[in-house]
Amino acid sequence: MNLLKQTSLVFWKDLLLELRRRDSLLTMFFFGTLLLFVFHFSFDLPPDKVAEMAPALLWLAFLFTGTLGLTQLFQVERENHCLEALLLSPLDRGALFLAKSCFNLFLMLLVELVVMPLFWILFNLHGWNLLPQLFLVTLLGTVGFCVLGTIMSAVTLRARARELLLPLVLFPLMIPVILATIRCMENIMSAGDLGAAESWLRLLLGFDVIFVTVGILIFDRVIEG
Amino acid sequence: MSLSAIVVGLYWGLVIAPPDAYQGEVQRIMYLHLPSILTAYLSYFLVFIGSCMYLWKREKRDDILAHSAAEIGVLFTALTIIEGSIWGRPTWGVWWTWDARLTLTAILLLIYTGYLMLRSLIEDENRAASAAAVLGIIGFLDIPLIHMSVYWWRTLHQPPSILQPNKAPWENIAWPLLIPLLINIVAFLLLLFYLLSLRYRLGEIRDEIRMRRLEQSA
Amino acid sequence: MEHWSFVALAYGIVWSVIVVYFFFLKRRYRKAQMELSALTSAQTLEEHEQT
Repeated sequence: MNLLKQTSLVFWKDLLLELRRRDSLLTMFFFGTLLLFVFHFSFDLPPDKVAEMAPALLWLAFLFTGTLGLTQLFQVERENHCLEALLLSPLDRGALFLAKSCFNLFLMLLVELVVMPLFWILFNLHGWNLLPQLFLVTLLGTVGFCVLGTIMSAVTLRARARELLLPLVLFPLMIPVILATIRCMENIMSAGDLGAAESWLRLLLGFDVIFVTVGILIFDRVIEG
Repeated sequence: MSLSAIVVGLYWGLVIAPPDAYQGEVQRIMYLHLPSILTAYLSYFLVFIGSCMYLWKREKRDDILAHSAAEIGVLFTALTIIEGSIWGRPTWGVWWTWDARLTLTAILLLIYTGYLMLRSLIEDENRAASAAAVLGIIGFLDIPLIHMSVYWWRTLHQPPSILQPNKAPWENIAWPLLIPLLINIVAFLLLLFYLLSLRYRLGEIRDEIRMRRLEQSA
Repeated sequence: MEHWSFVALAYGIVWSVIVVYFFFLKRRYRKAQMELSALTSAQTLEEHEQT
C-alpha cells in the first residue's frame, strides 16, 4: 500500500472518530471564540488600531487553539493502547505523520473558517473581500504549525507536564511561521498582497516543504522512542 | 588530564592579550561576546551531529555528546545574552533591545533550554534520548529559517538577503583588534572542548550507573 | 576609558559563571563516581555471596 493510501486510511479513521465524539473540534471552536472575547476585553482598541493588530491577534488565537488540538492528537491512541498496535502493523511511519498532521490541519482549518469571519464581525473590520487571500496565507501558516506540531506532539508524548512542555518546545520553533504569516496578512490588509511580502510567503512555503519532508523521514524515530 | 591542564593554562594566558588592544572601553566586550556566540553555535552544531548519529546508529555515546553539548551551549548562550545586554547599556542606554542579534540569541536559549527540559521530563532514558535527538535535529534545521525571519523583520526596508547582512562585523574591524579577537575565539573554543570533555565523562559515568542499576534489578 | 565598570562587569560575570560551572561539573562528577564505586562494590559483594 503506498504512502498516500495509508495516509488517507489513518486520516479517515481519526476523522470518523472525531465526527462521532467531536471533543477536539468543539473544544477548539469554543476556545478560539473565547479567546476573541478575551482579546476584546484585554485590548481596548480604537477601530483603526484593530485592523493593524488583527493579524497578530488572530494568529495568537489560532496558535493557542491549535496547541489544544495538538495535545489531543495522540490521545485516542494513548487511551486504548492503540499506539502499540499501530506500530506493530506495517504502517509506514511517514503515513502516520502525514495523517496526523492532516487531521490537525483539518480541525484547525474548520475552526479558522469560523473564527476569521467571526473576528471580522466582532471587531467591526472592513475588507471582507480580502478574506479569501488572508485565509490562504493562514492555511500555509497552519500547515507549518500542524507539521511541526505533530512532530513535537509525538516527541513529548511520554513527558511529564506534557501540556506545558509542548508549547514550550514548539513555540520558539514556530517563530518563522508566526513572523511570515502575520507579515503577509498585514500586507494583504493594508493593500493587496504586495511584492514586499512575497519573500515572506516564499519563506513560509520553504518552511512547510522542509518540515513536511523532515517529518516524513524522521517520524519513525520519533514514535518508536 | 594533562591535556586539559594545558588547555586551561592556554586560556588563562590569553586573558592578558585582550586588554592590550582597545578602542573605547566597552568595545572590549566584543572579545567575549563574539567568541561566546560562536562557541554556542558550535555546541549546537555538535548537538545536531550527535542527534543525527544517535538516531542513525543508536549508540549511547552520541546521545551523551548531544546532551553535553546542549548543556554547554545553553551556558554560552546565556553568557552571550548577558554580555550583549551589558554591552547594550552604555552603547544604547538600555539593558535590552529587540534587535536582531539579541532576539536571535534569546530564541536559541529558549529552544535549547526546551531541549534540556524535555530530557529531564521524560522518565525512560532511551525515550528521552530519542525525543531529544529529534528536537536537536529539528531545532538546528530551524535555526537558519529563524535567522532569516528575524533579520528580515528587523530590517524592514532593506531588500532581504539570504545571509545576515550585519553578521560579519569582523570584516570592518581594524587589524589590531582582530588579533585579540581571534585569540579569544580560539581560547573559547578550547574552553568549549575542555568543558565538553568533562561533561561527556560525567555522562558516561551516569550511563554506566544506569546500566548497572538495570542489571541489578533484572 | 569611559564605562570601564561595564567591561569589568561583563568579564567578571563570564569568568565567574564559567568557573562556577566548572566546579559544578566537578562536584557532579565526584558524586557520580562515588555512586558508581558503591554500586560496583555492592555488585561484586553480591556475586561473591552467590558463589
